[in-house]
Amino acid sequence: MQQVLARAIAGALPAYEDLAFSPQAQPAPQPGAPSVGDLGFPVDQTQGNPQDQARLNKRSHMLKIHQRLGLITTVPLIATLFTGGLAGGKSTSSTTRDLHATLGSVTAGMYFTTAYFSIFAPRIPGTVSRGPIRLHKTLAWIHGPGMILTPILGAIAFDQKSRGEKVHGIASAHGAVAVVTAAAYGLAIVSVSFKF
Amino acid sequence: MHKKSLMTCVLLALPGLASAADTQWILDQATLTYHVSHPLHQTEGVSKAAKGKGVCHAGQCDFLIAAPVKSFDSGDSNRDLHMLQATRGAQFPLITLRTRLPEDASAAGTIHADLEIQFAGQTVQYKQVTFQVMTQGTETRISGTIPATLADFKIDPPSLLAMPVKNELPVRVDMTWHPQ
Repeated sequence: MQQVLARAIAGALPAYEDLAFSPQAQPAPQPGAPSVGDLGFPVDQTQGNPQDQARLNKRSHMLKIHQRLGLITTVPLIATLFTGGLAGGKSTSSTTRDLHATLGSVTAGMYFTTAYFSIFAPRIPGTVSRGPIRLHKTLAWIHGPGMILTPILGAIAFDQKSRGEKVHGIASAHGAVAVVTAAAYGLAIVSVSFKF
Repeated sequence: MHKKSLMTCVLLALPGLASAADTQWILDQATLTYHVSHPLHQTEGVSKAAKGKGVCHAGQCDFLIAAPVKSFDSGDSNRDLHMLQATRGAQFPLITLRTRLPEDASAAGTIHADLEIQFAGQTVQYKQVTFQVMTQGTETRISGTIPATLADFKIDPPSLLAMPVKNELPVRVDMTWHPQ
């Protein structure tokens, strides 16, 4: 599902490479007045580069989508957490459990679509991560594996419940893994939203 | 013979006299700081990479100051890259500021300068911007704030959590010059 959604959104992106750019034009200085050439900047700092601008545009556009989808994903994520508390019980089938599983699937799908727009945004050569974005990226190493593991553990737990068994083994970690994942995800949003 | 010697002396002295009439100013150091306001936080980006030169002739001095857009550091690499994109900094990599001042302006405590700023592919003029001038020995320190806005330079306000930054983009300028 996320691949279909990703393709649909990526298809809507403007083709920045097609945009026409012109080099930076300097206004004619007064006669005798200093010019940019007098200041001794290296040529690469004074000449515009349309390819670099196109890469920046594409990167910003993809990261904007990443930001929007990431925020939207919090809605099914929170709903999944809420319904998780009601998904237990002794019965082999339950509407709340089905709802929890459906919401979990939607959350995972939207999460990986969100991640796609960050992972495949063009990299800018020579950029070293500094500031809050480092924490944001580091937290992905927690919520990323968590978002893979949580649905797998959830599916095992669902299967055990459907067979009338008590949740056991590795599946019993489903709730704890989900909470840690959701906490890391929330912190990742907060890390780039507020100044500490 | 005597006439020839005199003429030779005058010709040799002329270029020297001409250059003595033009005073040049060199920018020793500069700190440019932009300030951006967002409902959730305030941000400042600082550049110390500006270069500048002033040329005085007939009582008037033309100054040029320039800084690479990518030299501004806000403490967050992601924000700096987004700033570079929003300001079209790869296409227009330099911010330039031109102004013309009377040669005796460095003696005054306060000056009002007409500025011409080229940034993000736009050229904008700011009239009568106030700067404080302080001279110590051969060094002249000039500081003030340019009341720039995003709209002036046709920059779409970047947004975070669907909330855009304010239009105001004041740029604090702190420079030290010396005559050459």
